[in-house]
Amino acid sequence: MPEESLLTPELRAFVGKSTTPVPVQVTAQAVRRAMDVFYGHHRRTIAPGDPVPGVVIAALVPDSDDPLDFPSPLPNGILISDEWQFERPLRLGEELQAQNTIADVSERFGGQFGYSIYTRFEMLLRDDTGAIVARSGRTMMNYDARNARGGGEG
Amino acid sequence: MTATFGSLHEGDELTPLDVRPDLAQIIRFCGLSWVFPPFFYDVDAARAQGMPGTLVPGPFKLGLICRAVEEWLGDAGFVVTVRAAHRRPDITGRPITIAGRVARVFEENGRRRADLELVIINQDREPSGRGFATVEFTS
Repeated sequence: MPEESLLTPELRAFVGKSTTPVPVQVTAQAVRRAMDVFYGHHRRTIAPGDPVPGVVIAALVPDSDDPLDFPSPLPNGILISDEWQFERPLRLGEELQAQNTIADVSERFGGQFGYSIYTRFEMLLRDDTGAIVARSGRTMMNYDARNARGGGEG
Repeated sequence: MTATFGSLHEGDELTPLDVRPDLAQIIRFCGLSWVFPPFFYDVDAARAQGMPGTLVPGPFKLGLICRAVEEWLGDAGFVVTVRAAHRRPDITGRPITIAGRVARVFEENGRRRADLELVIINQDREPSGRGFATVEFTS
């Protein structure tokens, strides 16, 4: 188990790294598919400009050519937590700019998984004024399974 | 029954959401969000990770928590924040329940909001994840 930090200045420099913003649209197809996946149906009729269920954010996947490749020095990774935040509901038909970013990197010594590195990724959705409308975040934990005491999540 | 801000009390319980995610649903989720770790859909890959079957993706469970909140909220408002902290893996094909209660009812800068505490319960009646949500009432 490392007794010293593996978070080098080069790794810490990934905090704030972002992809180029790309457009995503809240299409009727995205709404139908998200409703089908999470609700098992898509019976609600939603008019253009009307609010859509929050789960639709899962369908807004930016097609970016410059992925964020955080080079974790530890071999195993699991999802610790994830969240969605909305300043207001997304609306059917609106186009937003999506940008992925590495929001934070931290580390922990000891514990069930031994030395571990936590990386928080965010996708920001902005409107045409640049205001953040919603964000989707997730925190990954990287660890070395040889130092773990069991447990985990997919 | 959906929620109304005026009748809301701390401790009120949400109607539990009982689901049994199947492999077809998980594969559709992978396509929706364009994430394809093999242990989400390939049982051999999951078993190689020491799991008894394919895993229910964490972001999918976040979506189920969001659904449970949205079904309870109805058209009375919208979800401001929904969060899931994952503690144990859930296995595809096994039942899970999303349960929750109102933790706080408050007004903030003229906005009528409530905090909700949620839990994902697996078939062994163990919590596999914890959830948290804030909702804003608009009607």
